[in-house]
Formats: sequence, structure tokens, C-alpha cells
Amino acid sequence: MTPPLRLVSQSAVSPSPSTEAIGAESRSLIIHAARGGDVRAFATLVDMYYARCLRFALHMLSSRADAEEAVQDTFVRVYRALPTYREQDSFEPWLFRILGNRCRTAGAKERRHAEFIEYGEVPERSTVARHDSAIAWREEIDLALRSLPEEQREAFLMRHVEGMSYDDMSVATGAGLSALKMRVKRACDALRLRLTEVDGV
Amino acid sequence: MSDEQDEMHEMHEMDEMIESIAARLRPLPRVDSAAKARVLVAVAAERERDRERLARRSRVVRWAGVGVLAAAMAFSAFVLGRDRGAATVTPTAVQTAAAPAADGRPGATSVTLARDVDGSSALQPVQLVFRAPAAKRVSVVGDFTGWDPTKAVMSRDSGSGLWSVSLALPPGRHVYAFLVDDSVWVRDPRAVAAPDADFGRPGSVLLVGRP
Repeated sequence: MTPPLRLVSQSAVSPSPSTEAIGAESRSLIIHAARGGDVRAFATLVDMYYARCLRFALHMLSSRADAEEAVQDTFVRVYRALPTYREQDSFEPWLFRILGNRCRTAGAKERRHAEFIEYGEVPERSTVARHDSAIAWREEIDLALRSLPEEQREAFLMRHVEGMSYDDMSVATGAGLSALKMRVKRACDALRLRLTEVDGV
Repeated sequence: MSDEQDEMHEMHEMDEMIESIAARLRPLPRVDSAAKARVLVAVAAERERDRERLARRSRVVRWAGVGVLAAAMAFSAFVLGRDRGAATVTPTAVQTAAAPAADGRPGATSVTLARDVDGSSALQPVQLVFRAPAAKRVSVVGDFTGWDPTKAVMSRDSGSGLWSVSLALPPGRHVYAFLVDDSVWVRDPRAVAAPDADFGRPGSVLLVGRP
């Protein structure tokens, strides 16, 4: 007896290659092939960048469903725009520029929905006791991050979580270097101020 | 910013608390394989729309070409005063591939095809059957659904564990696969594998014939 799912393709069960695991040269070849219309190369690009894109979207948006949708829209737009991508430019800032735009659009939709809820039924806040200090600290970080203005949150995440250079951030956001440094500084100041007020820090 | 300001800025950024916050935010999230599969389905649908747009454009160009050719022929006939017989173009018959019925083995699938009796361009009824007793949801994805998993959701027969769906497809070659539980992409094991399956996912070929 053979299990029903025995014909699953290798690509469906093999672990996703991360961007770290694939060297810069291989990455360039994959991007070049995807740009030339190679669908397998595009699927590899999705495998390489999906988790990173989702991490960024989850920090920018308040629901997982919205984050997944933003990432899906991003890859559809990347697919459409790949023929216009110039290979001498760095791929990641280009990808994050599209992702950032999708997150801003989804964020605006979330805010409109939140305003609607405010005038309707107000959802209850979680009252579960926070026994685990690590979880409580993580929740405080999430709350502090969400309290930042969108531009500061985006700049902080790109700089400190995605590890991008200010030049790449400038490509990804369209903002100048000084403005980005100021956004990151203000985000750091606000996070520091908010989180030093939390017990146990 | 001046160099001095830059230096202060870097020092300001790199303190322990900021590093601790960033370290908590850096772990990659759990990836839902169904959500990732949906990305490829959405991109495949986009690719299919591109193909349709190209095909439409090519049809327009072809018809424009036929119009010019017809005008030229009419002009030639008029000038030369010849009366030529019209050539009849017969569409090439497409061989129907009808796989055998499900033989009861897990994973066995079958394609049964009932031919329509009128019109070579009429939609033809096609039934796809897939055996997956443990699956919660199975849908057919293919070029004929624009790779949208919501357009051909299969129904389960609880006794046999067989999933089936009836479709009306235009004659010609189609590429399809089964999407199990919104996450696992499986090609039809009883049909010919498609060499051009989308996005590295397996696919099968379905040839729908004309009567």
C-alpha cells in the first residue's frame, strides 16, 4: 500500500533554502534565471525570501492573515516587475521596496478597519496572566514596536532586524540617508523609553 | 549629518537594550506551507493571465493578417478575373487521453471523458477522480481554472475515499494538478507528466478531444 501523497514533488518537501545558505553568486544566477522566465528559479526565490518577508510583514502589520496576504501580493508584483529589474542593482532592497509598499497599503486598510471597530464592538483585551517573563518581555517589545509611527518602525526593522545598510534602506524606502538615520534614532529612543518603564528590565 | 554626528549616531544605536530588542525580533517566523503554496498559485495565475493576454494579442494580429490576406486575394481575383475554389481548413483532431478508472489503490486517480455530440469548439464534460482518504480538502488546479484552487473544489465520497469533480473544458491540451489540504501539490499519477508544469510543481497533461 502506497500512501496517497507519495507523488509530492521534491520541492514541496525539501527544506527551504535560506538566503544565508545560498551564496551571492548562486543567488545572482537564480535571480537571472527567474528574470528570464524560469519558473523553477522563481519558486526558489520564493523559498529563499518568503520567511524574511513574512517576518517583516508580521512586525509591520497586526494580523498574520494580513501579513501573509501582503507577502503574497509582494511576490506577484515581483513576478510582474522582474523584467524591469536591473541586475546590477541589489535585489533585496528592490524586494523590500515592494514589500514595504504592500505593508503600507495593508496597514492603511487595517487602520480603517480598526476605526470601524472602535465605533462598533470593542474587542476584549487578553486577560491571561503573564507567568513567563520571556513571553511578557516579547509582548512588551511587540507593543512598543507597534506604538512607533510606521516610518520609524519600518526603518528600525530594516536596520536592526533585517541588517540592511543605510544605502540599501534608501533604495527600499525612497528616503534620504539623513532622514533614515533620524527615523532609526527616534525609534530607538522611543523603544528605550517605553521599555525601561517595564518591570524586570 | 556630519562625521561626528554619524559616529554619535552609531554609538547611540548600538546599546545593549536595542540589541536585546532586535535579538527578540530576529528569529524567522513559522511558515505555513499552505500560505506559501498560495503564493505560487497566485503567481501561476498571473502567468496564465499573461499567456491569455499574449494569446488574445496574437489572435488579433492573426485575424488582422487574415483580413489583409483576404483583401489581397479578393483584389488578385478581381484583377486576374480568376475564379478559385476556397480551401477548407479542417481542425486537427486532438487525441483524447482517457486514463483507466480508479483501481482502488490509494493515490490512484482516473480521468473519464464523455464527449459532447455537437460543435467542435463546444465545452466537453470531464470528470477528474482522485483517491485520498486522509485528505480534508482536495481541489483541481490547472490552466483552465487560472490555477485558482477555489474554482474546482472536489467532493469526497466518504465510503471510498475518492474525490471527484465534473468540469466542462474546451477542447485542447490542458495542464493540471491536485492541491491537497491547500498545501500539497500532487500530479495525477495516471496521466502524462507535463514537462512545462508551473513553478517547479508537478503537473499532468489532459487532452480534451473534439467529437
